[in-house]
Amino acid sequence: MSDAEPLLAVENLRTVFRTEREEIHAVDGVSFEIDAGETVGLVGESGSGKSVTARSILGLVDHPGSIDEGAIRFRGEDLTDDNWDDHRGDIAIVFQDPGSALNPVYTVGNQIREALKIHQNLRGREARERAIDLLEDVGIPDAATRVGEYPHQLSGGMQQRAVIAMALACDPDLLVCDEPTTALDVTIQAQILDLLADLQREDDLAILFITHDMGVIEDATDRVNVIYAGEVVERAPTEALFENPQHPYTQALLRSIPGRTPPDEPLPTIEGEVPTPTGPATDCRFAPRCPEAFGACREVHPEHEPVGDGTVERTAACLLHDDRYPDETGLDGSGSDGIEGARSDGGASR
Amino acid sequence: MLFRSDRLRSHTWGLFGLTVVFMFVVMAVFAPALGPTTVDKNMRNSYTEEITYYDTQTETVETTLVGEANLGSQSTGTNSRVMPFTYDDFGRYHPFGTLPNGRDLFTFIAAGSRISLIIGVLSVALSASLAGSLALTAAYYKGRVDLGLVLVSDAVMAMPQLLLLIMLTTVLADTWVGELYSGAFVLALIFAGTGWTYMWRAVRGPALQISERQWVDAARSFGQKPTVIMRRHMLPYITGYLLIYGSMTLGGAIIAIAGLSFLGLGVSPPTPEWGRAINLGQDYVTTGSWHISLIPGLLITLVVTGFNALGDGIRDAIDPQSDAEGGAAGRGGGA
Repeated sequence: MSDAEPLLAVENLRTVFRTEREEIHAVDGVSFEIDAGETVGLVGESGSGKSVTARSILGLVDHPGSIDEGAIRFRGEDLTDDNWDDHRGDIAIVFQDPGSALNPVYTVGNQIREALKIHQNLRGREARERAIDLLEDVGIPDAATRVGEYPHQLSGGMQQRAVIAMALACDPDLLVCDEPTTALDVTIQAQILDLLADLQREDDLAILFITHDMGVIEDATDRVNVIYAGEVVERAPTEALFENPQHPYTQALLRSIPGRTPPDEPLPTIEGEVPTPTGPATDCRFAPRCPEAFGACREVHPEHEPVGDGTVERTAACLLHDDRYPDETGLDGSGSDGIEGARSDGGASR
Repeated sequence: MLFRSDRLRSHTWGLFGLTVVFMFVVMAVFAPALGPTTVDKNMRNSYTEEITYYDTQTETVETTLVGEANLGSQSTGTNSRVMPFTYDDFGRYHPFGTLPNGRDLFTFIAAGSRISLIIGVLSVALSASLAGSLALTAAYYKGRVDLGLVLVSDAVMAMPQLLLLIMLTTVLADTWVGELYSGAFVLALIFAGTGWTYMWRAVRGPALQISERQWVDAARSFGQKPTVIMRRHMLPYITGYLLIYGSMTLGGAIIAIAGLSFLGLGVSPPTPEWGRAINLGQDYVTTGSWHISLIPGLLITLVVTGFNALGDGIRDAIDPQSDAEGGAAGRGGGA
């Protein structure tokens, strides 16, 4: 991270959903920064609060949810002071399912023109030509015809390209991609990732890449934030994270990538599921599923501590890395073969 | 939510409704041309208009005032009556017979269909637009706005509609709104003001569903105005429901209007209204002049059934699941 002001800084963001029965802390103190032109990943299981983070950044959190605490600074200006409308178009979002992000009753061109009208004040033929340009930019062949077609006439990959074109019509500085490739098959997924990388290079676009797919994270991002039950548990440059994961959760996630396990061994999984955080964290939320958990893990909420060999800036929120709590199992003690394994084969597997 | 006209085409019940509604609308639109005479000639100015007829007793052609002729063609029981499809003593044809005061029932009904349709369509259009925009507002903003609207609509529902109608028609009777189109306009306003709640309840659910769709979020994310999002991205998905409920409410409005004029309220005489024809004939139901109440009564039933059937047909054309398994229980539109 440079000393200059980051493009977007999320600071201690807390988004809470209040229903009559309970209070769900979907995002619980998440912080990260994105600089202009870089791609930051946000990775975690379903239900870990990734999408709510994205919606919070765009000010799309609906009743009964609300942003309780924290700041979302875009170019230094806090969006949570109800400033979203001033920055509409500076941040654009690409949703997971392109089929539902496009309104089926309007043509693709119609929807792109809607954004063009608002952000570039283009109308009529000008807007149509710009929409065709945008569709060409995102790699849709025969854009002049496609511009007049309805979403159902396009394939899934084409639809996602059209959604990206719609987002680009706002001329954004930051593109939030909320699982943009999850609904697509692998070949299309690769094409969309290439497209995003190209667009980033051309327009110096910053991208927040949200996914549960570690493979996509490795391909597409510069830095990664691993999120678990509403909290960032590890943040590191992508390469360093894959080489040497420090948080037990990250280690477990990397172990469960199919390609990393020898073909004759069963794929390791993480037992259990992500807990739903219903109150402020008082312990480590991963402790019940953590193979390395020791006594203090169930009593103390871990803070981010610098980890690694000091060559890169990275932190993890785990008591194993906190000097105040002597690690009873030990990083290289018995029962932690996972860590050793991940450490030794982490760099070699790819 | 796709309207499939081919499904309506094979929907016998819906086609029946469409036919009835079509005939009713034709009757209302061409009311002055359809009857053997007109409201002006036969009712309003009956003592200035003249007719000539062939008097069988004197065997000469006589001239008389329409009002005098009406007195001679009254239907007031078994002995003095002009039944449907007969001529009276003055050579005038009465397709539906005459009223107790000797006026032509068909002309009365044709003119009455016009006012029923106008009040019905006006009140349904008003309540549908009110219900639609409030449902979109509630669905878009959710939370407190939604809760507030639920409270308001519950409060409106809790008011006894009939008492309110009676009170307002009396209070507004002598004001300029009350006199617009023989009181029909104020009736439409009251029906809309009290009737939107049911439609609002019905479309709020679908509107809430639509508000969760991602293209609504997408539009919000690029800064589209809330009103435009509601109109462009949500309204198309609830118009189907508005159509169904509109069609069904229209039948209810026609019954309500007829009921009011049966009680002597609502549309003021001498403007013809179906309910008043029933009222005029109710003393003669057990006599030979039974046609006076029976014909408008049957017509009201037919037309209201027609509107409901059309509503069913539209619903099934929009939502195939409602017909396939549910049968009469119906889904989708829910009514």
